[in-house]
Amino acid sequence: MTLAAADRAARRAPRGRSGPRTGKQPGALGRLLGSSLPYQLVTFVAFAAAWEVYATVWGGLLIPSFTETVHATIGLLVSAELWAAMYVSNQALALGFAIAVLIGVPAGIVLGRFRWLERFADVYLNILLVTPMAAIIPLLVMSLGFGLASRVVLVAIFSIVMVVVNSRAGVRQVDPSLIEMARSFGATERQIWTRVLLPGAMPAIMTGIRLGVGRAVTGMVIVELLMVSAALGGLILEYRGLFKAASLYGTIVIILAEALLLISAARWAERRLTGWAQTDSARSAR
Amino acid sequence: MIEIRGLGKSFVGQDGGTVEALHDVDLDVVENEFLTVLGPSGCGKTTLLKCIAGLIPWNEGDIVIDGTPVRGPGPDRSMVFQNFALLPWATVLDNVGFGLRLRGVGRAEREERARSLIDVVGLSGFETKRPHELSGGMQQRVGIARALAVQPSVLLMDEPFGAVDEQTRRLLQEELLSIWEQHRLTVVFITHSMEEAVLLGDRVVLMSARPGRIAEIVPVPLQRPRSNDVGALERSGAYVEITAYLWDRLREMHEEHRPSEVAG
Repeated sequence: MTLAAADRAARRAPRGRSGPRTGKQPGALGRLLGSSLPYQLVTFVAFAAAWEVYATVWGGLLIPSFTETVHATIGLLVSAELWAAMYVSNQALALGFAIAVLIGVPAGIVLGRFRWLERFADVYLNILLVTPMAAIIPLLVMSLGFGLASRVVLVAIFSIVMVVVNSRAGVRQVDPSLIEMARSFGATERQIWTRVLLPGAMPAIMTGIRLGVGRAVTGMVIVELLMVSAALGGLILEYRGLFKAASLYGTIVIILAEALLLISAARWAERRLTGWAQTDSARSAR
Repeated sequence: MIEIRGLGKSFVGQDGGTVEALHDVDLDVVENEFLTVLGPSGCGKTTLLKCIAGLIPWNEGDIVIDGTPVRGPGPDRSMVFQNFALLPWATVLDNVGFGLRLRGVGRAEREERARSLIDVVGLSGFETKRPHELSGGMQQRVGIARALAVQPSVLLMDEPFGAVDEQTRRLLQEELLSIWEQHRLTVVFITHSMEEAVLLGDRVVLMSARPGRIAEIVPVPLQRPRSNDVGALERSGAYVEITAYLWDRLREMHEEHRPSEVAG
């Protein structure tokens, strides 16, 4: 490699990642060992092997082996039945979660900025935080029926708490001296919101959205399992009833995969939007 | 020119009683003067600065700048903060241009002015860095550039070098002097350091605490420009004398308020 080529290579080195860089860049192998992926693979392989051994030695009708589960999962993935169920379930998830974000973020921000509102809202937030949500499903079904509406509402109230609480915390942790600084430069109230409070609260808002996604998936499955008996939850109940253990496991694997995927997407968006905060030790909820 | 007449400010303290932060403060700051305000902590010097900035209301008296009474923050004034108050998510360029952006200056002009001030404070090449990648001294350079970018006629500085280490502080003092010598604007500079007050100021306003009021205004008879040889200036007789005088006065104030601490 000539010097010029080396220079070009050096310039191509990853940019954009902010924060102090330590010494030289590790090679591909070093990066791989540095990440948690190989370790996760090792534990996964060990887990799969243990599962396989257990299921073949002691298992029976009710415990499928790992390979059977994989086969069933693949079978489900190519079946129309699964995708129809996915579509119906995710309708509730998407609508419910969208409502949670559209209501939760503004509500959290307003609660964070105007503290006196706390007196009115705190008790409801606490109720939302601690209530076993399964308990209010019958109530929802009684008032909204077995349709999409009760599933949407349940997903929304499952996830909205995380969104509200984190948005509120985000606004509160914006340094008051930044607001004073903006005012000293003649910022209007509107500019304080758009230029200081919202960008400052963004990392926590994104954290709330990520945690909310997890809760939304939980809510989606629980409502289908416990009451409405539709879509993915309905599939689980159906496979259980038919003793199709491998398919039952496969459905759960697919739900888990979807949850992981959504959370990864949320985490990716969080990093993209709020990279500046990643080095901040002030991050509260992670 | 800033005219302060009979300024009084009190607020309700933690114990419910009324605390008088400022009592009957009269002060004139002339055009292009570098005025330093020195006093023990709790003497209301930051309160005074925030009143001039229009950030907080007061109870009595008037503040008039170039014939216009102060009713709130205005484009004629800008402020430099002790804790820098930089936006952690914004780059150096965007931080310096922040005041301009709030005032509706378009992107091209904003960035051009920001770049020229980044050059003035010696941060060229750091335009795309974010505050957490900079040292304290560099962060305050950003703060100074941001304040200068809006082209104020009055620069209000609230212990701007209080949070940086001694060596950086000395460098920043020299640079501030040279910036002020070139740009010429009125500066009100709060500090708790006698040396800093003397080195930078045309006059030193000495404040005393409880209630905060002006004890004395001490002219600094050191010649300008001072930025080219700060070392020689600090060894000069006039500098030593006036610093010693200020310390005597400050010590008297401490003895008035806390005799046990000084005696013991």
